[in-house]
Amino acid sequence: MTYLDMEIPSRSSHLWRYTPWKRIHPSKVDIVPSCETIIINHEGDCEFKESIRTVNESDDISRVFLHECNDQMNIVEIDGKGQLVHVNLIASGESVVGHIDFQCKGEATIIIHLSGSATWTGLHITGNLEKNSSIGYAFVNELDSNSKLLRCEDWNIQRDSRLEYGELSIGGFRNKTDIRTILSDSNSSLKQAVAVYGVDSRHDDHHMEISHMVKHTDSSLIMNAACGGRSHSIGTGQLFIARNANNSNAGQVFHNLLLSQDARADAIPELEVLSDDVSAAHGAASAPIDKEQLHYLLSRGLSPEQSEALIVEGFLVNTFSSLKNKIISDDLKTRLKIHLECGIMR
Amino acid sequence: MEVLKINDLHVSVDETPIIKGISITINKGEIHAIMGRNGAGKSTLANVVMGHPAYEITSGDIVFLGKPLDDYEVYERARSGMFLSFQYPPSIPGVQVGNFLKKSVASVRDQQLKAREFRKELNAAMEQLEMDKSFLSRYVNDGFSGGEKKRLETLQMLLLKPQLALLDETDSGLDIDALRVVSKGINEIAKDSGCLVITHYQRLLDLVKPDYVHAMIDGKIVMTGGPELALKLEENGYDWLEA
Repeated sequence: MTYLDMEIPSRSSHLWRYTPWKRIHPSKVDIVPSCETIIINHEGDCEFKESIRTVNESDDISRVFLHECNDQMNIVEIDGKGQLVHVNLIASGESVVGHIDFQCKGEATIIIHLSGSATWTGLHITGNLEKNSSIGYAFVNELDSNSKLLRCEDWNIQRDSRLEYGELSIGGFRNKTDIRTILSDSNSSLKQAVAVYGVDSRHDDHHMEISHMVKHTDSSLIMNAACGGRSHSIGTGQLFIARNANNSNAGQVFHNLLLSQDARADAIPELEVLSDDVSAAHGAASAPIDKEQLHYLLSRGLSPEQSEALIVEGFLVNTFSSLKNKIISDDLKTRLKIHLECGIMR
Repeated sequence: MEVLKINDLHVSVDETPIIKGISITINKGEIHAIMGRNGAGKSTLANVVMGHPAYEITSGDIVFLGKPLDDYEVYERARSGMFLSFQYPPSIPGVQVGNFLKKSVASVRDQQLKAREFRKELNAAMEQLEMDKSFLSRYVNDGFSGGEKKRLETLQMLLLKPQLALLDETDSGLDIDALRVVSKGINEIAKDSGCLVITHYQRLLDLVKPDYVHAMIDGKIVMTGGPELALKLEENGYDWLEA
């Protein structure tokens, strides 16, 4: 089915409740624009190949649309020996699209940094972790504050493999992200940590699906969003545990820190558990800055602005505390601190 | 030199009177201890002096280093040389102790700290308090034991070198060894500042010798004496003061 044959999703759909398709489309919904390819620079030990995406297997409108906008694809093969691979994505021009497919085995760390001032950016990242792999992955969205982003990611984690996934979302003014991970074989695991910082009228919609397809699989998802100004953060988690996926463990936690009266945050964890013998938990909490924390910092001589900034920094930094891959957690923390300090200076 | 003067202070929380007319004067180099039952208003007094927004001063005034505190925000009090060691310091996940201390000291001293000099000063203070360096990379009070929290409070006090130290049950949660170490820190600060120590127990006052002991009941100071009053309170409780 092509994009133009597809029905535009309505707001009653879980996925499109907070960011309707027309608001994230680059122009009018009945148009498939011709898009430039995103600029990709990479460093580190990996095979980088350019290719054409010929078959679209998805029936999801975002994925079909991105495929039709631009079918250029980059395949990154990582034969992991503990190396670090940096991928810089630069979005410039009117509308740009990038497709990257990671084929991973062994141990490696991947850091993706997205920046640029394109009016609209579409990005589709796919990844496959072969058996017995351990991959640390960090994604940083630092697009200019007038950019719109539609991003999809699809990960497949095979037997005895582990993906540690960290994300820092601080760029763009309207962002729709849809990340789907399949734990396809036993003893596969995912640890996902997402930090979102909203200022002004930034809109950030994260949808994260995790599917436990077989027994003995583990996942944990934490999303911390700090929202100031008139910003709006949405986190929807969809956890699926298949009928035969016994002895699986899964947890999803969403925390929102509201920094102004006009800021909004929605956190909706959803569970679909078809197996009886599993451990699955979810939670969500939204609150303003803790008055006792604020008073404590004020009593130590920090101004109200410094105190609030430190609490926000701590809240977001803490997102990555559970990540064992020190390279990605340090990278994300450093970028976050620089971003916040620059924000204060502005 | 007069560090703190409290004149006929009345304080309410949600229109409920908690402090009902307290007057105390603390001079430089003096240690004042306040003892009293739970709910007597001891912690309220310390928090009011520090400027906690939950408390409303209904009458009376507080003068710190010759200036009325009315118009001082909490952080301005800290920058002027006031320090409160919290009874229950909150945890701030994600904020590393080292980073927090550096920011706090730089704010109070109103200067950019030279990294090497600050590290040297920090190391010396931590050594004095028998604290492991790994403290610095932990998050503020996050997962700390009661004793670790009180050590961190004392470490901050040593670095900030306040003119007035308000110590709200600093001895609670401390074992005997930790109490000895923390008391050493308090005594060092007390030499050059005014100190108000809130406690339930004589054991702290064995190590931190008070010049004055105040017995507080139902928001009022009902008796003031020397160190012997603390011994008497520990032995006889507070009932005899109400008789």
